[in-house]
Amino acid sequence: MTAVVETAQPGPVGEPSSAGPARRRSRWRWASLKAGGALGSLAFVLVFNFFLFRVLPGDPAKNLTRNRLVPADQVAELRKSFGLGKPLRDQFLDYLSNTLHGNLGISYVFRQPVSTVIAERFWPTVLLLGVSTLLSTVIGLWIGIKGAWNRGSAFDKVSTGISLALYAMPEFWLGILLIIIFAVGIGPFPGLFPTGGMISPGVNAASVAGVLDIARHMVLPTLTLTLAYLAEYALVMRSSLLDEMGSDYLTTARAKGLRDALVLRRHAVPNAMLPTVTLVFLNLGFVVSGAITIETVYSWPGLGLLSYEALQAPDYPLLQGVFLLFSVGVIVANLAADLLYGVLDPRVGHA
Amino acid sequence: MQMSRNVLRRGRTRVVAAVVAAATVLAPAAAMADSSSSTPAPAASSAGPVFTVGLTNDVDSMNPFVGIVATSFEVWGMIYDTLTGYGQKDYSPVPGLATSWSTSPDGLTWTFHLRSGVKWSDGVPLTAHDAAYTFNRIMKNSFEQTNYGNYVANMTSVTAPDDTTLIIKTSKPSPIMLHLAVPILPEHIWSKIDEKAVQTFPNNKDVVGSGPFTFIQWQVGQFIRLKANPDYWGGAPKVGEVDFRIFKNDDAMVQALRKGEIDFIDNLSANLYDSLKGAQGITLVDAKYAGFEEVGMNNGAATDTGTPIGNGNPALKNVLVRKAINYAIDRQTLVDKVIRGYGSVGTSVIPPIYADQHYQPTTDLMGYDPTKAKALLDQAGYKMGPSGVRVGPDGKPLTLRFFARQESQDSQQVAQFVKGWLKDVGINVVITVMAENRLTDVIGNGEYDLFEWGWVVEPDPDFQLSVFTCGQRSTKDGSTITAGLSDSFFCDPTYDKLYAEQQVTVDPAQRDAIVKSAEKVVYDKAAYALTYYYDDLEAYRSDRWTNLQPQPDPGGSLIFQYGTYTYRNVEPVSVAQASASATPGSTGVASAPTSRSGSSATAVLLGVLAVLVLGGGAFALIRRRGSADDRE
Repeated sequence: MTAVVETAQPGPVGEPSSAGPARRRSRWRWASLKAGGALGSLAFVLVFNFFLFRVLPGDPAKNLTRNRLVPADQVAELRKSFGLGKPLRDQFLDYLSNTLHGNLGISYVFRQPVSTVIAERFWPTVLLLGVSTLLSTVIGLWIGIKGAWNRGSAFDKVSTGISLALYAMPEFWLGILLIIIFAVGIGPFPGLFPTGGMISPGVNAASVAGVLDIARHMVLPTLTLTLAYLAEYALVMRSSLLDEMGSDYLTTARAKGLRDALVLRRHAVPNAMLPTVTLVFLNLGFVVSGAITIETVYSWPGLGLLSYEALQAPDYPLLQGVFLLFSVGVIVANLAADLLYGVLDPRVGHA
Repeated sequence: MQMSRNVLRRGRTRVVAAVVAAATVLAPAAAMADSSSSTPAPAASSAGPVFTVGLTNDVDSMNPFVGIVATSFEVWGMIYDTLTGYGQKDYSPVPGLATSWSTSPDGLTWTFHLRSGVKWSDGVPLTAHDAAYTFNRIMKNSFEQTNYGNYVANMTSVTAPDDTTLIIKTSKPSPIMLHLAVPILPEHIWSKIDEKAVQTFPNNKDVVGSGPFTFIQWQVGQFIRLKANPDYWGGAPKVGEVDFRIFKNDDAMVQALRKGEIDFIDNLSANLYDSLKGAQGITLVDAKYAGFEEVGMNNGAATDTGTPIGNGNPALKNVLVRKAINYAIDRQTLVDKVIRGYGSVGTSVIPPIYADQHYQPTTDLMGYDPTKAKALLDQAGYKMGPSGVRVGPDGKPLTLRFFARQESQDSQQVAQFVKGWLKDVGINVVITVMAENRLTDVIGNGEYDLFEWGWVVEPDPDFQLSVFTCGQRSTKDGSTITAGLSDSFFCDPTYDKLYAEQQVTVDPAQRDAIVKSAEKVVYDKAAYALTYYYDDLEAYRSDRWTNLQPQPDPGGSLIFQYGTYTYRNVEPVSVAQASASATPGSTGVASAPTSRSGSSATAVLLGVLAVLVLGGGAFALIRRRGSADDRE
């Protein structure tokens, strides 16, 4: 019986084992160029954030004391405590030095340190968005791969149709629909899930019952978000895999006698992955920004809704802190994606 | 063999992935427990039945000096006491921490006799010294005056000669002394927090109060839990716990009421209220309310020293034009179409819910009369022009800007109706929708003609009347304009005199008469065109709860009152009554309001999930075998 001989794999995945010192140096140079670019973006974001919110109409001190009999000198006192009385240049320098020291200031609306306000909602946001991004990536990729590999089959047509239909629906509408069907119950079917919130009042989050309770509260919002964004991954993966499928090296691999599934998994998919990797990391970067419509429908305490509420005052320190977090998330995710390309595709990754 | 080795490796990877996924769920839950805003409650708190209220607005701070939203005031009212309360029937003063009070003949010295034997929730006795400390703190520090400044404005000294007597001296007679809505705070706790620290003191741990409820927990953005105080001097509440659950979405909140997850909803919109009609086990309440909406008019924007500001249309300075606008509006249509009949037509600025102080116009009533409106406009010198728009003495067509609020659908609807009616009498209206923040600025600067907004009026009329005084117009400092409370820029010396008089009249009957005269001045001079008084629409699960208390009695709201009457008296429907009234359609459990269950549902779900995962995994393993030749 002849063993299946796997010669040096065709296609660009993997790199030649003899990477000399020159190649390694140019790798490092490339990586540091990318990192430098990310830092530059971050610096720009820091400056831009400050001026962006000053454009919003309204004086926070006035808006927070609207329609109450607050003595005028107390309003002035409030404005001074917000630091709004100083010239813009001083405010900007204060903001820069504070942020670089990790002090994000005190929220006008909550009167608590901004870092506390954000920390309270950080994990719920990451939990919800992280799990649903993961699920929609995995399921979407599977649909896309299977659809492309069996192009024209019933599975392909039905799955593409359904995922597009779900993508086209407004997600808050889908959310309310799911609440009516699964949370309240229709006809003889009982509602199994809560209508909103993250945890039932009185249940200790750190206990086993608490974890199960949070999981139960998470089912419907995660389901809504997953269903709404499946199509993104399915379609991108499907089209890039279709591009790859015509390549010669796949015909060669099949001719050698490789199982269909192996051809798909070991050759076609890795090479078709690059556009999907871009998409996945882009969306991972947005995980911290929350999903404001889903948070509203399910009353989930997330950062998306927090940033919307902060716009009402407008609560400058909270907005600055929240947007800084969002920007850092996106920049870091993009940097990770850039660096990952260097590993996945040896054509990239050298400066 | 090579093949089986690959299969084993893949199996192991799957297990690893499952463990990682489980850890991802557990870790944030543990982190969340740490970052929750106070100590988590003990796992089994079965102090008694739990009354759950659904809300859309969260508390903004548990610190009575910092928070400003209505929900915060509602919660503080349950945890802290005041000297006097608002009576359930008609808001007249009733004993609170003070059992009786008296005034000196010149009206400048008030003596309050405090209840004895009251204890703070940490066991320390409550005395008049705590009350004196609270008032003195507010008088001394300007930050504490943000919420309570108007109560101490006339106080010159507050002393406690003994544990149950409080003496307050004022500079003028002050009717507000009957309704000092200041939470009495424990000196032994708050004296440790200085005037700088109080601005960021969260007050969300070990809160010490004397009220009918004690604070358990506030999970920001999700819920607030309060436990009944069995030793309350006014009698222990009949519930064990009151929970406020925060929803960000009215529809979801109504679904939660239908399902039975919550017991009470306040401030429903008219169409959601109508959608609940006929629902099993739910009672709808159409409560009279102290709120009104108006079409505001720019009476001639100027600063408090009389310097004109802004760019209001000069036509509105003419009282005849403002009255014409009042006659041109069909208020009954607005009540029927905009708030679906849940309200009544508007007249004067103190709503009829305050029966003793509401001024009801009779012969001077400005009803819907377009003919009269046209006559008044002619009289004012605005003759009808060729294109159906009136032309003023300056030769320009009469065009007014109308600013509706982005945050309110009702506001935009009213704007459309008013535009149509004013067109009928020859006034051209241009509607712009803007955010409330921006509208506040625009009004303060006097850069408007007409707008739509509303007020909620407190039992004491002083605040609402102050809005029309000359002194509450904007102030100008260099080039900065700071808005006051006035959104009409109404300024009339007769009115100011009446306002000053009611401020120092303590006798209720005399004061009511002066208040009504003041309202008449505002009404006759048409500072506003009040559109309607709206009702407070509430719904609750009457299959589970009974004995809720309205204020005023009868016909008023059940919660968000000036008092805690419902929270202290609501009790579960007895089991016998429940089984008699339960119907097959209701999905909620009629007799067990302590529901924290769902663990059985969870178990079912986990079982289903496990079957799906295992089944899916087995299915995938079997399908794996297909090779290239199988396909072809």
